[in-house]
Amino acid sequence: MSPAHFSIIEKVILSGLTLIALGSFSYEVLRRVFIVQKGLDSLPFDRFGERLFRVFREVLLHEKVIRERPFPGLMHALVFWGFLVFGLVTIDHFAIGFYKPFMSDSVHHAYSKIVIPFAVFVVFGILSLAYRRFINRPKALGKISPTSGLVAVFIVVLMGTYIYGETGLSPFVWKINWWIHSILILAFLFLIPRSKHLHLVLAPFNIFFRSFDQPDHTPVHIDLEGDEDELDAMLNDLTKLTKNQALDIFSCVECGRCTDVCPANRGGGILDPKYHFIMDLRDPLLEGKDVAVLDQINVEAGWECTTCQACTEVCPVGNHVEKSDEIRRLEVLVEGRVPQEYQKLFTNLQETGNTEGASSSPFADSFPVFTPGKEYVLWLGCFARHGLDPNFNKSVENFTKILDVAGVTYGVLAEEQCSGDPANRLGDKLTYTMLREHNMEQLYETKKVVTLCPHCAVNLGKEYGKYGSINYTVEHHTQVIGRLIDEGKIKVQMGESGKVTYHDPCNLSRMLDIVDEPRTAIKAASSNFQEMEESGRNTLCCGAGGALWWKKETQGRTHLVRAEQVIESGADTVVTGCNFCYGMMKQGLGPMTPEGRADVVVKDVADIVADNLV
Amino acid sequence: MKIAVLVKQVPGSETALPILGNHNWIDEEQVSFVMNPPDNFAIEEALLIKERTGDGEVVIVSMGPARVQKVIREGLAKGADRGIHLEEDGQIQTDPLSIAKSISSILMDENFDLVLSGLQSDDTGMGQTGVLIGEMLGMSTGTLAMETDVQDNAIRVKRELESGWFQWVKLPLPASISIQSGLNTPRYPSLRGIMGAKKKEIKVIPPTDHQTDAISQSIDKVFVSQTSKQTEMIEGDADSTVARIIEILKSELKVL
Ligand code: HEM
Ligand code: HEM
Ligand code: SF4
Ligand code: SF4
Repeated sequence: MSPAHFSIIEKVILSGLTLIALGSFSYEVLRRVFIVQKGLDSLPFDRFGERLFRVFREVLLHEKVIRERPFPGLMHALVFWGFLVFGLVTIDHFAIGFYKPFMSDSVHHAYSKIVIPFAVFVVFGILSLAYRRFINRPKALGKISPTSGLVAVFIVVLMGTYIYGETGLSPFVWKINWWIHSILILAFLFLIPRSKHLHLVLAPFNIFFRSFDQPDHTPVHIDLEGDEDELDAMLNDLTKLTKNQALDIFSCVECGRCTDVCPANRGGGILDPKYHFIMDLRDPLLEGKDVAVLDQINVEAGWECTTCQACTEVCPVGNHVEKSDEIRRLEVLVEGRVPQEYQKLFTNLQETGNTEGASSSPFADSFPVFTPGKEYVLWLGCFARHGLDPNFNKSVENFTKILDVAGVTYGVLAEEQCSGDPANRLGDKLTYTMLREHNMEQLYETKKVVTLCPHCAVNLGKEYGKYGSINYTVEHHTQVIGRLIDEGKIKVQMGESGKVTYHDPCNLSRMLDIVDEPRTAIKAASSNFQEMEESGRNTLCCGAGGALWWKKETQGRTHLVRAEQVIESGADTVVTGCNFCYGMMKQGLGPMTPEGRADVVVKDVADIVADNLV
Repeated sequence: MKIAVLVKQVPGSETALPILGNHNWIDEEQVSFVMNPPDNFAIEEALLIKERTGDGEVVIVSMGPARVQKVIREGLAKGADRGIHLEEDGQIQTDPLSIAKSISSILMDENFDLVLSGLQSDDTGMGQTGVLIGEMLGMSTGTLAMETDVQDNAIRVKRELESGWFQWVKLPLPASISIQSGLNTPRYPSLRGIMGAKKKEIKVIPPTDHQTDAISQSIDKVFVSQTSKQTEMIEGDADSTVARIIEILKSELKVL
């Protein structure tokens, strides 16, 4: 290949085109950066090493892109890795046009041995993606996108011209080929920021900045005695995105993975997180040049969300997708538009400190009261205290039986009120504030809390911490049971529960990252354990999260999808680690069990362990 | 349009209701109180009428001990303009006629165009107070409104009759109307509303200024009714079984 001569005119044209492309690229990118800068809070740089490592895994290794959709994911990885390899070639390509290549002929030749195979991979990858997008057309990808087609053609021609260029052409043909290649690259540069392909610039940053916690919603500080202007400013901020959220909107690659995994969407609801929580906000952001766009979220869709975080967990470009908290708190605190059943729930919480409006709990009174000498505060939660499913009382007693056998001391708090989970998730941050402040007082001198309710664990252990320092640790009972087994404090034998499976509660797996301990406990008691297809951090919500337990009319079958999967798994026993999941399974499984098949037995982790204690 | 909404504070539906030792009322110390649920619809309808007509005033009126100020504030937080609290001390009044006399003596000078009330209270369930006040103040009265339509000097209401029948009636103003639950979607107090409500006026009328001595109704005994279940297994052949069932329906249940 000859280092061809480029005339002044050619160089001027090349310079002009490059300037236009780079200028337009920078303008479009900076326009978005400018909007992101207007967001609330700041972008996080803490835990720097961990963040970098995450970028390495999720960007360079493409871990999430591949995990959820193995074939398209791998095809994409080919394109992505190809791009990285081409970076150098690309720079050299333009260097030729402006001056001379910085790679010597021999280096260029040696490098091309790597690049040519990659060019083939890229073509294969991009054609597969295009086949999927234009011929297969899975629902998640949405409407046919002409830009996608254009980009695919660009990339194929780029690769073609590259390989063609390496074949030793006459100077004239080489020159034409060079120009085609260059113009395509510049056109690509022009297209990137105007389309979802901006993700190739933003995804690495977005993954770097992603919160380690999910869900990650800004706390809402309410002081009714405080300054009115401050309250007003706080209410005004409720419509604004944080910087991180604004960056999400521009990073979205529109792949629809979030919608694919969404229990509300799968159950036939209208909620489509890709559109309602992300894409619907993109135009308002760009048009308004401002981040005050949260009021654009579809309210009906927002109420359907179970806050399960499946969408956030799965997003390959690092988005915190779920925004039900944001739209609900706007509806409750600013608009005062609250579905009637939730108004009743809030009134109960305000008047009695529990979800049911009950004035006492005989069940709670049946346990020893906590005194300072005891190891654990046993936090019961409304579900157990007020018998939201009375069958679950036995599970609580089974857990205390385990504690008794292991010689662990515990007691309940006489003045325990609802942890506030339903109020928090439904956006009533005022009621949440009342409950949180009450409970923080009760827990003032507490060191260790254990609870069977993952929702309480998330609030007591994580959410409360966003409002002030907490001096206690919170454990879920499956962690305590798992540890007691590991330490040999309790002995468990293999029992007769038939084929056993485990339903990971989303508050436990995704929000608290507790997936191993329940399995330790179950596997100690069952030799016939089989995972569900969607398990661990990729579990599917039972449908009760986000206070949907109290929702009267549910559009669709969000609450049945998981129960259906349990039936299909062929399990005889389904174990879970959450009182709400327990209640949902009990309600959902019965009516769905086919004629002639024995009912699937629902157990808490505490049940299967206590049943098999030796 | 000047609108009064009568609200009552009642025990929450799930609260325990321990009865006092002398059996004449419940032990209020142990009860959690809430806004009478049907009154939420009356407040909402008043606010909607005010919003629709573009001007006017919505006044929340309640009678009872100091605790009832909570539900008045709730109404103010939702957007009502001011409150009137007819204070009671000691035993609270349960007789609708006496209550109506108290309230109408205070509303007399206010010259309301409309008095709205919930269809009934969830505690004693009399459903009379609004109508009685309407009569005492010389207003036209209507009950169980499913829809309202304010016109010049009149209000048209759609009333619920039996067996799915409805009726539109036109009432000259001023009028007192009880509101059927479910006709609208009550709002929830917003944070700005709650803050604003703190600054709104609640006029407190001391007991001596409204209470009448003429109590026409007194409570003898409050008790929880006992329920029991009887099951009889009917066995034997078809003829004797049928004979026994007919006998039960005739002589014990008296439905034949
Ligand atoms: C932002 C993106 C890309 C730029 C900027 C870019 C740039 C360049 C440049 C400059 C060359 C020139 C090399 C040379 O003449 O020695 C080049 C070559 C090539 N690029 Fe790219 N490329 C970009 C992306 C891609 C992509 C995505 C592909 C393919 C996927 C690709 C494929 C090729 C190929 C094939 C050559 C070969 C060039 C040649 O014959 O020299 N480039 N690319
Ligand atoms: C140089 C870098 C990159 C290039 C050239 C690139 C290119 C592309 C292209 C061409 C598509 C297909 C779009 C369509 O037609 O729908 C795509 C989709 C996608 N990209 Fe990238 N991308 C890059 C970086 C990344 C990174 C860093 C991530 C995430 C870590 C990522 C994640 C995705 C995902 C998830 C899709 C959707 C695939 C699907 O599920 O169908 N990309 N990308
Ligand atoms: S949090 Fe769960 S229910 Fe809500 S949008 Fe995401 S996936 Fe759907
Ligand atoms: S938010 Fe994430 S998962 Fe959802 S469509 Fe966008 S990139 Fe895909």
